[in-house]
Amino acid sequence: MTQAKVAALPGSGRPGGGVLATLFRFQSLFGLVLVFAAAVVYSPSKNGELVFLDSGNLFNVVRSMSEIGILAVGMTLVILIGGIDLSVGSVLGLASVGSAVLLTGNDLGLVPAVLAVLAIGLGFGLLQGIAITSFGIQAFVVTLAGMQIARGLARIWSGGQGVSITYGDRPGQAPVTFSLLGERTFDGLVPIPALIFGVVAALAVVLLRVSAFSRHVYAIGGNEKAARLSGVPVKRVKIVVFGLCGLLAALAGIVHAGQLNFGGPNDGAMYELDAIAAVVIGGTSLMGGRGSVVGTVAGALLVGVLRNILALNNVDSNVQLLVIGLVIVLAAGLQRLRPASVA
Amino acid sequence: MKKSRAMAAAGVCLLLAACGTTHENAGAGGGHGAPAKCGADGKYTIGMSQANVAEPYRQRMNDDIRSAVAAVPQFAVDFADAAQDNSKQVEQVDTFLTQQIDLLIISPNEATPLTAPVKRAFDKGIPVLVLDRKVDGDAYTSFIGADNTGIGRQAGEYFKNVLLPHGGKIAELRGLAGSTPARERHDGFMQGIDGSKIEIVAAQDADWLRDKGQQQADAILQAHPDIQGIYSQNDPMGEGARIAAQNAGRPDLPITGIDGLPIESGGLKAVEAGRLSATFVYPTGGREAVDTAKRILLDCGQVPKTQTLPTRLVTKENAAATYAELNTGS
Repeated sequence: MTQAKVAALPGSGRPGGGVLATLFRFQSLFGLVLVFAAAVVYSPSKNGELVFLDSGNLFNVVRSMSEIGILAVGMTLVILIGGIDLSVGSVLGLASVGSAVLLTGNDLGLVPAVLAVLAIGLGFGLLQGIAITSFGIQAFVVTLAGMQIARGLARIWSGGQGVSITYGDRPGQAPVTFSLLGERTFDGLVPIPALIFGVVAALAVVLLRVSAFSRHVYAIGGNEKAARLSGVPVKRVKIVVFGLCGLLAALAGIVHAGQLNFGGPNDGAMYELDAIAAVVIGGTSLMGGRGSVVGTVAGALLVGVLRNILALNNVDSNVQLLVIGLVIVLAAGLQRLRPASVA
Repeated sequence: MKKSRAMAAAGVCLLLAACGTTHENAGAGGGHGAPAKCGADGKYTIGMSQANVAEPYRQRMNDDIRSAVAAVPQFAVDFADAAQDNSKQVEQVDTFLTQQIDLLIISPNEATPLTAPVKRAFDKGIPVLVLDRKVDGDAYTSFIGADNTGIGRQAGEYFKNVLLPHGGKIAELRGLAGSTPARERHDGFMQGIDGSKIEIVAAQDADWLRDKGQQQADAILQAHPDIQGIYSQNDPMGEGARIAAQNAGRPDLPITGIDGLPIESGGLKAVEAGRLSATFVYPTGGREAVDTAKRILLDCGQVPKTQTLPTRLVTKENAAATYAELNTGS
């Protein structure tokens, strides 16, 4: 049945693509709705109220996915151009150490410290982009190296131990404003990390909708050679994309340090894989050229909701891994069935 | 497509349904770690937040808790594994709070990041037992653990007094860089060998792991073939170092570990078999935590703020006896 539908699609190849195309384009959004519904149905209840829908619980779900979500937005851009960035988890660790050290060690103000950390992430990403484009080394290899380098830098910078952040006006204390990230309440409803994630995602959506940059990104991912021949500045676009990914990884690291009041040199390990998982579940093709930030956001939330409802039901953590693994395979399988005409 | 998506969701739901539980205790709580209710006729759910279960020591801690809880009909325990990730552990503690557990046992991955969620639990009226690694401040009910600095010092003194009374060159295998026990076991050791002629000529991080211990010891033995002993900050790294020493033609090189787990693959057996010269028992505190939980929830009693567990030296002479002793009643 599915095959017949797929075959029928090219005939209806008008822009917009019909119901099926929409389904494919936003598979993770539908998946999210389904998982959310399942979470409501299977939520344990307390005093007649569903624990899952408890505002405190939803708050936790959104907050806990914010860091992975921010990483995943950057990862979406990289994967759209047919690349991959394995360094983001380590850059997150480096940035979290950097935030802690700069805020507590030096008398740098909040804004300069944050800007410095963002600059480190941006610079790290740009350098990786340059290495990839100028020397023609695969993104996988360059960022694999970057992953080790960033981790090493994080451990060296922190002197091999986590840096605790305390807040106040005295020397060695971070500005109290920074603790807003950890206080986690903004009018009591929206966690600030989630707010940052939302802004980042919105900016990325706009970037990928309206600009020439967007056309370039999709063109490179679709067919790099053709893009080059048709005048797309392939090198420059690629470098910028890796730069943005590094920048977002640093932003996630700042959020991380703020939430935990701590810059840990070992933090963010394996986060790159969680980010890639969110992108894949979001329906972005690892071959590049197809996918969307909206899908990634839904993918990240889907994983968050899934983890939460499994935890609320005390499902063994090893089984949780298994379930999320199956979801990744399922999402990737759906992509393979996706007709080529659906962008 | 829709169909397969739906089927997947159904599959997930099945898994969920198989594991669903509910808790009977509502109690919004009286605040500051005083239990919302207590008494011997209640039913209580304990949440156990473990930093990671990849290390045998932490597996054993969970096992000790599991078996001790099994002996208390009023208790049930849920485990969460943070896989060495501070963020994940914060999230898991918050999930426990959402579930309204009656008591939290936590072995934090790092102190500072877990301080806030532990305080949230404590302020909600959930008694919190902090196991093995501390949190900042005093918003918890009781800390139960051995002293890492103390155990490091004991190891140092063993080198100073027994293994190398005339001094000598040794190497140190350290746990995960940035982890509190790695730092404390090092600091304690330095205190222990203070005033002796023992010199650490090589020190490498081996992340608490056996294979990394072997790798690092391989390199150390190449660079310093004249070392007269290895201080390993845990038993698995020490076991790895033993293999490296054998390969380097130094089968008799003294190597000491720490942890002394009473399991088949643990340090006590390694000492008994002569692979390690000595180890130091670092109790998991699992059983003590459940005993403390009983005093709080069943007896409505008070518990001390800090419970320091005794550590002890294990050599070939007492290894078998210690093994037997630690495995009785579990």
